[in-house]
Amino acid sequence: MENLITGNEAAAWGARLSRVECIPNFPITPQTEIIETLAQWIADGDMDADFWTLESEHSVLSAAIGSEATGARTFTATSSQGLVLMHEVMYIASGMRLPFVMATVSRGLSAPITLWSDHNDFLANLNTGWLMFHAQNNQEILDSIIMAYRIAEDNKVLLPAMVNMDGYVLSYTKEPVEFPAQAKVDKFLGKYRPKHAFFDAKNPLVQGPAVLLPHDYTYFRYQHDTAARNALSVTRKACEAFRKQFGREYGLLESYKCDDAKTILVTQGSISTTAKAAVNAMRKKGKKVGLLRLRLIRPWPAKDVARELANAEHVAVLDKNVAPGQGGIMSPHVKAALFEYGAKPIVTSFIMGLGGNPESVGMFEEAVRLAEKDKRGGVLWLE
Amino acid sequence: MYKIRIHGRGGQGGKAASKILGAALYLEGYEVQDFARYGSERRGAPVEAFVRFDRNPILERGYINDPDCVMVLDESLIGIVDVAAGLKKNGLLIINTPKKPSQFRGFKGFRVVTVDARSIALETVGLPVYNTAMLGAFAKATNLIHFKFVRKALERELGKKLGEKLIEKNMDAVEKTYDVTEVPK
Repeated sequence: MENLITGNEAAAWGARLSRVECIPNFPITPQTEIIETLAQWIADGDMDADFWTLESEHSVLSAAIGSEATGARTFTATSSQGLVLMHEVMYIASGMRLPFVMATVSRGLSAPITLWSDHNDFLANLNTGWLMFHAQNNQEILDSIIMAYRIAEDNKVLLPAMVNMDGYVLSYTKEPVEFPAQAKVDKFLGKYRPKHAFFDAKNPLVQGPAVLLPHDYTYFRYQHDTAARNALSVTRKACEAFRKQFGREYGLLESYKCDDAKTILVTQGSISTTAKAAVNAMRKKGKKVGLLRLRLIRPWPAKDVARELANAEHVAVLDKNVAPGQGGIMSPHVKAALFEYGAKPIVTSFIMGLGGNPESVGMFEEAVRLAEKDKRGGVLWLE
Repeated sequence: MYKIRIHGRGGQGGKAASKILGAALYLEGYEVQDFARYGSERRGAPVEAFVRFDRNPILERGYINDPDCVMVLDESLIGIVDVAAGLKKNGLLIINTPKKPSQFRGFKGFRVVTVDARSIALETVGLPVYNTAMLGAFAKATNLIHFKFVRKALERELGKKLGEKLIEKNMDAVEKTYDVTEVPK
């Protein structure tokens, strides 16, 4: 079955098809439509889940931890200020190794206030120990939520996952989306049977233990890092299983016409599809240009990224975010990956699309033109 | 790819018009993307909504700078907003107004279509909601959508909100604007 739905509705469908059992929530633009949709289904009897309305996002994530710790498959969603208000609790969710999924709908951070999208809210979580996926269209939002449960709940991983979409340009935009059959999703995910985080009155257990000494604390962190690294191969396998089951292809990243490309654009999220249109336009003019789309942001697939970029002469990293005083958040990641790999294309960092500033085919063409003139690897603002 | 930009004011249903138009074109078998740009606007502030459709999957997103068609729900926006910005040569400019196209001499190089959607909406729906009425003018000017799909799209997008009777009245408005719209060659 296919239908025309918004990105928010796609996220709600991802949760519904994953048969989530508990949804702690708090409204915030541009995410609210996700929880409204779920609330309507529960009220209409189309979905069976606990719907907890709380007083803040800090409480939402705390409640999600409580719910997931009893062994219930849990889902929530947030945006922007809500996501940064959750920050303290993010580390507790991942440190307790609770594999639930949160849809995040990117919106720039205050001050000044904006309602529109950039990635500073999402990327503020790079070091929280969560798995982080970034979708480029509504189909991928739905599919990624289902995949995220499978990867998060894998015993080699056991970490919470975020699936990000860009506010407005996906959250409120309708696109055709193919719905996976419920029976197939059930087969793909299986029942969630936690081995370490559940409620059983006959076997009482403590989760989130008391103060640890440095050595033990370090060992927990080491296990956390190992689990996150394990997610690379687990994600690869999940993508392959998803392709076999549903016919749609995903990977840790998406390489578009990179093979013979002299200049490669690096993007993430919804700007990637316009960037592909730009690559197509430039290819028509005979320019050897490609696109590398980052999909799995955490764990960071450094080798895969470097391998795709290694033979390019120029790389233009387009960051829809800014770390003031440093530049784009993702460009140092790309540079480090190339350095470790021993490849030396010139990497130009572009800041663009802040607070929903619109992208266009022409902007990506301009980025390529500027990158090809760059001899040292600078930071440029594109508008 | 065909790109439509709708200019209206907050509360006039520009976003709803893009959704209905998007759904109708989707039912016609096109790949569709509809999008609205709005924020915390007050009622009456200028807003824009967008529809892209194509036979192939759509890659471009967001604001449409180079539309094939512009629909202006509120004539008073002309002069405040550059409604024809980026409109392609010989592109279609549909304006909700009792005036004749010849009275819009400023828009050179475009096909200007005028329709008094406001009066028709008042007559048929009984309310000054002219977003659906404007779809009749679009249907006539482009020959791209059938009434049966406009009806289905209306039911899909607004069925719960409006109910059967108001859907009928809105369809009357669509058909009436279709009949009276004159399309320049």
